Amino acid sequence: MARQDGLYSALLARGITRRDFLKFSAAMSAALALPASYAPRVAAAVAAAPRIPVIWLEGQDCAGNTEAFLRASHPTVAELVLDTLSVDYHETIMAAAGAQAEAAMRGTMSTYPNGYIAVVEGSVPVADGGVYCTIGGKAFSDTVIEVCRGALVTIAVGSCAFDGGLPGAAGGPTGAIGAGHAVPGAKVINLPGCPMNVQNLTATIVHFLTFKAWPATDAMGRPLFAYGQLIHDQCERRAHFERGEYVTAWGDEAARSGWCLYQMGCKGPETYANCPTARFNDGTSWPVKSGHGCVGCTMPNFWDQMSPFYRRLPTVGPFATDTTADQVGLGLVGGVTALTAVHAVGSYVRKRRSDADARAELAAVSAPVAPPMADSSARSDSSTEGRTDR
Amino acid sequence: MTRIVVDPITRIEGHLRIEVEVANGVVSDAWSSGTMFRGLELILKGRDPRDAWVFAQRACGVCTTVHALASVRSVENALGLRIPRNARIVRNLIAGTQYVQDHVIHFYHLHALDWVDVVSALKADPAATSTLAQSISDHALSSPAYFKGVKDKLSTFVASGQLGPFANGYWGHPAYKLPPEANLMAVAHYLEALDWQREVIRIHALLGAKNPHPQTYVVGGMALALDPNSTTALNARGLSEIGELIKGAQAFVDEVYIPDVLAVAGFYKDWAGIGKGIGNYMSYGEFPEDDSGEPTAFYLPRGRIMARDLGKLQAVVQDSVAETVSHSYYTYDGGDATPRHPFDGQTRPAYAGPKPPFETLEGHDKYSWLKAPRYDDEPMEVGPLARMLVAYASGHADVKPAVDGVLGKLGVGADALFSTLGRIGARAIETQVIVHRLGRWFSDLTANLDTGDLAIADGTKWDPASWPAQAQGFGFEEAPRGSLGHWIKIKDQAIDNYQLVVPSTWNGSPRDAKGRRGAWEEALIGTPVADPAQPLEILRTIHSFDPCMACAVH
Amino acid sequence: MTTLPTQADLHAPEAGLPANVVRPIDQSLPPMMERVRVYVWEIPVRLTHWVTFAALVVLTITGSYIADPFFFTPGQDTMRLVRFIHLVAAFSFVASGVLRTYWLFAGNQFSRWSAFIPTNRRHLREVVSQTQFYLFLRKDLPGILGHNALASGTYLVVFLLFLVQTLTGFALVGIHGTQPWATLLGWVPSVMFGEQGVRVIHHLLMWAIVAFAIHHVYSAILVDHIERNGLMSSIFAGSKFVARWRVIEARDGGIALDSLVSKQDDDESRAEALATALRTRE
Ligand code: HEM
Ligand code: HEM
Ligand code: NFV
Ligand code: SF4
Ligand code: SF4
Ligand code: F3S
Ligand SMILES: [Mg+2]
Repeated sequence: MARQDGLYSALLARGITRRDFLKFSAAMSAALALPASYAPRVAAAVAAAPRIPVIWLEGQDCAGNTEAFLRASHPTVAELVLDTLSVDYHETIMAAAGAQAEAAMRGTMSTYPNGYIAVVEGSVPVADGGVYCTIGGKAFSDTVIEVCRGALVTIAVGSCAFDGGLPGAAGGPTGAIGAGHAVPGAKVINLPGCPMNVQNLTATIVHFLTFKAWPATDAMGRPLFAYGQLIHDQCERRAHFERGEYVTAWGDEAARSGWCLYQMGCKGPETYANCPTARFNDGTSWPVKSGHGCVGCTMPNFWDQMSPFYRRLPTVGPFATDTTADQVGLGLVGGVTALTAVHAVGSYVRKRRSDADARAELAAVSAPVAPPMADSSARSDSSTEGRTDR
Repeated sequence: MTRIVVDPITRIEGHLRIEVEVANGVVSDAWSSGTMFRGLELILKGRDPRDAWVFAQRACGVCTTVHALASVRSVENALGLRIPRNARIVRNLIAGTQYVQDHVIHFYHLHALDWVDVVSALKADPAATSTLAQSISDHALSSPAYFKGVKDKLSTFVASGQLGPFANGYWGHPAYKLPPEANLMAVAHYLEALDWQREVIRIHALLGAKNPHPQTYVVGGMALALDPNSTTALNARGLSEIGELIKGAQAFVDEVYIPDVLAVAGFYKDWAGIGKGIGNYMSYGEFPEDDSGEPTAFYLPRGRIMARDLGKLQAVVQDSVAETVSHSYYTYDGGDATPRHPFDGQTRPAYAGPKPPFETLEGHDKYSWLKAPRYDDEPMEVGPLARMLVAYASGHADVKPAVDGVLGKLGVGADALFSTLGRIGARAIETQVIVHRLGRWFSDLTANLDTGDLAIADGTKWDPASWPAQAQGFGFEEAPRGSLGHWIKIKDQAIDNYQLVVPSTWNGSPRDAKGRRGAWEEALIGTPVADPAQPLEILRTIHSFDPCMACAVH
Repeated sequence: MTTLPTQADLHAPEAGLPANVVRPIDQSLPPMMERVRVYVWEIPVRLTHWVTFAALVVLTITGSYIADPFFFTPGQDTMRLVRFIHLVAAFSFVASGVLRTYWLFAGNQFSRWSAFIPTNRRHLREVVSQTQFYLFLRKDLPGILGHNALASGTYLVVFLLFLVQTLTGFALVGIHGTQPWATLLGWVPSVMFGEQGVRVIHHLLMWAIVAFAIHHVYSAILVDHIERNGLMSSIFAGSKFVARWRVIEARDGGIALDSLVSKQDDDESRAEALATALRTRE
């Protein structure tokens, strides 16, 4: 296959200067948390890279990650699609349709065995023989196995492809699972988020071009450079958190002063992602900056685990009942108190009765009598004496 | 009679399968099948109604934000909340920006390749292309050198043999009519629009944290903090950035998008007679311009046109919406043919199509994951064309002259609107009208902030403890693709029932209980098909609706 | 075959008592009925009890603040301070727990690990009879000096709650990447439904501990007040005041007796066995 000029010359052709290009390389190095000295190496690697074929599959998705991809800014989507990658199959943007689209996918799979990147967007419904998502009359659950098994790597973009996401949330009837789960044994890099931050996708690809290896990931297959740190620990409102300065009503003075959104249910304290530093849409903003709490969209099962979104803690119960931990706790405490009180009354009554018995018994034993343990009825009557129950 | 199957229909959102029968070179019957189901309405059950918008927004990442808006409106309607003025305007700005960005992407990146032959652009003369471009617009990027650069880049690209997304297109198909120069200009603008859309949508990031899936809605208003003088809220600097972005959007629409649409349309006037469709049009109306909450305050009016009768504008009320599932993969208590109003809507998946892998849906009574929505039992077409027709029929001060102007420039009558080409034109007109209205809403916002009014949310009903034991409400929204409604029933502070009836559900609907086709199916009837192996014309008519399947099925 | 104990046997001052733990304190009653002072709780038990108690008070208050920060002092790092105090208290709590765990193996028979786990059939039977007693289904009780069978079971559960609370607490510290907790307890979220699960469990356990404490304190007062056995003061000073015959009969009253009586199946045969034991002592 003919190899393309690299990204660098392509950028030059587009009137982009070497300085801009180095700036891009520096930005990428920063995103990957590489020392600045790596920038030239990143630049060289990206410039020399051939265009890697990509098959971008969509299953149970909303195309949000595709849209995120279209918003790529460093490099831009045009640079990615025309100069860095060869996006041979992507239903949302490709010219071919129907049989011709299918043929494009087959062509790439047979021309580049184990040489293309499979991107999966959306979850894979495995219930009922895969009838909840068919493309070209084929179950998506079969297609995804075929395509990902033959790929150099599978990049699961967005939370749906990560672990089933929205379709996999409680109540969803389609048996939706993530790509990694649907294709056991495949090399999968997960970029959860709803949608993912496209900067993490480009950085992952650039990392591969630079080091000929995929970035280090955590146990869930999420690159550490992007998912290694808690949002809460990178948040610009953290000082307010420490101070105890919280927004308690939307649009109040505290909200305008940029106080912490903890009390409004912000899930930054339990969410690993680089949103505060990478931000979205060319670094413009991210949820907390604009005034709304994080909903934890990069985390496993976030639709169930992180909701209700406006309460700090999930409700308790099989799913989505409106019972909070505090209600359960107060119920428990109330119940115990009530039981104890009832018991106290009972004990008091019993005590009065046995006191009377004991007095009688005492009178009886004042004169030498049979030992209590030899007389079980006497022992029973005075049994509470010396009891040490607690 | 030949049966043609196109699956996947590409350059749309989601998973659509079209099957048609072709007789004498034209489509004689058609079936539209949504092939992916997620169960959003089931997933929403039992959850906190204040969370609903976050879930519902994920119905779609293309027309992102529209379901968020419909959702918060439905809860606000159920709880009797009226949002503050700032929130109303911010919501208009977000929704309006969505129209503009979505429509431009649709034209260049989803629809253009049906009309523009990329390979033919290789034969274009850059100088002649420059002349053509300058003759239709003042757009700055129009020098011969610029077009030569684009052409060279394209040649290198094609010569590489790695055609990427352009591989296997229907290049050279006889239905392509543009001269090479127009094709080259369109390719250049395809690339420019890619950069432009990324930039303009930063308005969403400034007002809503990010796009897709902005994250500042809350029941009762917005979470966005507004204060021109604050360092932490959206302040004077952020506001002026929005102002600049709106100006940039206006320039691109006026100087690139509109001239391109007119230029392309000029070569495809025959498509003003193809893709007529049902002839019933509906709009819920959108962009409230005062705080009354009344539809009369909408910038784009609410209304209905039946049987293409522009002289008679009819009312729209939420009670008249209902869905049947006779030909959909669901069952209803009490019969699939009995229309159900969304408040009592049911979502009970019951796949009844062929077992995959399969070749055709032929012989299957049920054939789609879309329900069949009807208004007063009638099928409807919704979308930009419907909105522009309703506005036109109501004598809208901005829309009427714009429509008349375009019709005049193309030298066609109002009848030409009821067509595949009409949908493209209406979408462009709407974009232009809205992109200019954005400026007005923007100054409304700054003027209101100037009065010292910084309120952005009504928190009186934030605490679920303040809610009645039971409540129900609906939220209407005119999304880019048409009339969107969410219906919610709340019981004991949790969602008891939640139903979405979505623009693409209206348009992409399968047959109803009475066997009447949905809008796409009906519009395909009569569409010519020159080569059954290259069903380009089918794509043209289907794409003119800008289908969104994730929305449609949800 | 020996004879039944005589009156004289039973009136002998030290009859049947493990000499090291029992001192008679009152000679006005017949020797078997008189109250004796039993040294039950050694210093480490009492010390850890009160350190734990103090730490729990602090942890509950600061934990509640972390869960729902209801106030702040302008200009001060209120939350930072509260979380710091929570952690200091947490470390005291853990230190106390470590000492008490050591004492599970080094302490006397009332505080040993075996006091918490039904290790023989008699102990198990006591769980049943104790439950019946609490439910007002029976009037009499097997005598116990240390923890009764039910209470010890409860303490066992409470110890486990403490352990899980400590695990979740330090896992929460680890979530921020603070070492060594991040490495040591990184697995905790994965077995507790994720980070939010860890928080909810930590939060719920606070309530469970509070519920236990209410019951525990309430019944300590109750039992002490009604039984007048010095229960309350025992956890301060270490000793209880119990009728002599009770000590003899109690499961943990004399380990020497235990080995004999625990083989018996019911109260009658147990009484017989006790009598036998007393006789054989002579
Ligand atoms: C024993 C060691 C303990 C450690 C290391 C510990 C640590 C922590 C930490 C770090 C947090 C903050 C969580 C966060 O901000 O993410 C926390 C919260 C909390 N702690 Fe502890 N804790 C311990 C024991 C306890 C105990 C014994 C109680 C109560 C009896 C308690 C009650 C709470 C409560 C109620 C919260 C708030 C939980 C929430 O709503 O998120 N903690 N603890
Ligand atoms: C005024 C307050 C308290 C008094 C008078 C008190 C008294 C006692 C007594 C007498 C015992 C020995 C139990 C027995 O006879 O079997 C004991 C054990 C225990 N208490 Fe308390 N207690 C108090 C508060 C608390 C609190 C607040 C807690 C914790 C929430 C607590 C936790 C425990 C535990 C875990 C044991 C088992 C002790 C061991 O064997 O180490 N106590 N307490
Ligand atoms: N149909 C549809 Fe949507 C829109 N516009 C919305 O409700 O596309 Ni995704
Ligand atoms: S992860 Fe979110 S944005 Fe991506 S496809 Fe799923 S719902 Fe859409
Ligand atoms: S806003 Fe959220 S992420 Fe930021 S400091 Fe507060 S709780 Fe943490
Ligand atoms: S909601 Fe998602 S986008 Fe980032 S701030 Fe939270 S992880
Ligand atoms: Mg629906």
